[in-house]
Amino acid sequence: MLWYKAWLETRWRFGFLVGMILMVWLAPLWISATGVHSGVPAARQWMGIQLGSVLLYIFTAIYLAGSGVNSQTIYAATSGFHGSMLFTLSLPVSRRRLLFVRAGLGAILTCILVAIMAGYILFLRPEATSAIEAAVYLTRVIVCTMAVYAVSVLLACVLDEMWQFTGVCFLWVAVFLLQSRFEMLSRVSPLRGMSLNCYPITAPMPWAPVVTSAVLAGILLYASVLVLQRKEY
Amino acid sequence: MSETIISTQGLLKSYSGKPALRGLNLAVPRGSICGFLGRNGAGKTTTLKLLLGMLRPDGGEIRLFGETVKSEASSIAARQRLAFISEDKELYPYMTVGQTIRFTRAFFPTWRRDLEEKFLELFRLPREKAVPKLSRGMRTQLMLLLAMARGSELLMMDEPTSGLDPAMTEDILQALADLAVSDETTVFFSSHQLMEVEQICDRVCLIDEGQSVIQGVLDDLKAQYRRILLVFDAAPPLALAGLPGIDHLRQRGRTASILAHNNVDAVVESARALGAISTEVRPVTLKELFLDHVRGE
Amino acid sequence: MNLRINFSSGVPIYLQLIEQIKHAVDTGAVREGEQLPTIRKVAEELAMNPNTVARAYRELERDGVIEVRHGLGAYVAEPRASSAKSIEIRKAGAVLRPAIEKGVALGLSESELRRVFEDELSRLVNDAIAARRRT
Repeated sequence: MLWYKAWLETRWRFGFLVGMILMVWLAPLWISATGVHSGVPAARQWMGIQLGSVLLYIFTAIYLAGSGVNSQTIYAATSGFHGSMLFTLSLPVSRRRLLFVRAGLGAILTCILVAIMAGYILFLRPEATSAIEAAVYLTRVIVCTMAVYAVSVLLACVLDEMWQFTGVCFLWVAVFLLQSRFEMLSRVSPLRGMSLNCYPITAPMPWAPVVTSAVLAGILLYASVLVLQRKEY
Repeated sequence: MSETIISTQGLLKSYSGKPALRGLNLAVPRGSICGFLGRNGAGKTTTLKLLLGMLRPDGGEIRLFGETVKSEASSIAARQRLAFISEDKELYPYMTVGQTIRFTRAFFPTWRRDLEEKFLELFRLPREKAVPKLSRGMRTQLMLLLAMARGSELLMMDEPTSGLDPAMTEDILQALADLAVSDETTVFFSSHQLMEVEQICDRVCLIDEGQSVIQGVLDDLKAQYRRILLVFDAAPPLALAGLPGIDHLRQRGRTASILAHNNVDAVVESARALGAISTEVRPVTLKELFLDHVRGE
Repeated sequence: MNLRINFSSGVPIYLQLIEQIKHAVDTGAVREGEQLPTIRKVAEELAMNPNTVARAYRELERDGVIEVRHGLGAYVAEPRASSAKSIEIRKAGAVLRPAIEKGVALGLSESELRRVFEDELSRLVNDAIAARRRT
């Protein structure tokens, strides 16, 4: 039943994302087919799509992670005690399980959306893509997005809903800016790992960012459990 | 089968250096309905949350159903046998009554479908109604249903009747009476509504500044405690304050008001010996017990 | 049986219940052999604590006012010691009534009368204690 509850809580965000993605995907197609920029060379459009995709991956991960471990009801702000969280916590269920289900569902939905978007990118690609290249791209996009997701989950455990979103966005903007300045960071950054600008489809699996992302995701999710277990309500 | 359902010893809890509980000793026996009284900020909600594992104590011991509750695992084991109704009675706003019941049911293998049906009908709760559309009273009833259908041995509540009209309040009290009779369920709730506490509770525990100041069977407390009103010729003698067995003393002009228990006759006799020209002994209400013990001198 | 409990009074609830049931027996509102409402019924009707009701019933049984037949319920007992007590109570009432009426005629209010009564009562009790000490 926890999965059911998690779904009831997340479905609006999921729906919103699906709508947004459709808009972002469909719009350029329509525009390029009929609009002012129909003369723009395919290569430029392709780059725009790539950039957009990375942003979308990140946004998806953040948005679905925030539908939150801390958020409960609109009454949370006024009651000061996280509203229905008191009911949830009075049930015979461990905090670890609560997080597992909530973060788990968000992760699954994120992977689904990301996979669809990535698949669509491959579909749009002017050149043909081999199965291996497709597999590599899908894997690295999913793993790197999971790192973004895990950071968002941890922040969702620590901050309340409003702050979590802003906090996470700031964090990744900071990483984005810093990664061009610090070489170490740029070699392992998940943001670069999911970007086709940095690692084109034909490139081999970029192990540095992918492994870092996987490890980071694992550590941060574990940390989230610890945070939740110690938290006082 | 343990006889003491809730027991705390020397329970301590501070928030950012400010102490909320300073060594609370609490004992609630099986089958009783115990009212938990105290001023705002005395530590009632803190105690409830500590018992549920929402907060961790800084010291002291908690035992529920005779088992020590320390780790999350032991807290979860205890929560399998109890139910909690918070003050705001918040449930999930994206669920209907039926969904909430189905959700809660999944956690309790001993769920009683017959009780679920019975209370749905008794409280007239429509399964399809969305939770946010329920009035406060109906939310309370829904939470009572969830508590009773799971067969809990202990029901804990934070201000259960606050904000409810008298008719709804009476319904709730009746449900509690029913609960106590049929299932030997222990009920422990905090409340400011002294009249309701006097009606339904057989025991009370009054806490002030993080400690228990009075605890016991309410009828016994009413039998033991007396207000002794004294009038003197002049200001009451200083020796009056030194009399043994006085719980509380208030002086004004030539009169003194004493709260005492257990040796009331001796106090009256001593007061006469000290020169009291008039003595009157009266029974004491719960409100007086409350006010005398928490307002200090 | 029409039970009305004042929950906010300083008088213990179980004592109020005992008093009212005894009164019902004395006045014939419930007769010998009649069944009393179950503890559950009393508790639910008055929305009060069943333990308290049980306590009252236990004391009534101990005093011989009612008898509990196993598995059947509580029944009003044959008048034995209880009736002797109720006769004495009625006698005392008869003795006190003229004194009270005199106090009222003197212009005393209810609380003044009560104070005088309690004063005299404690004085009597204290005298009795003192007398016992001397012997």
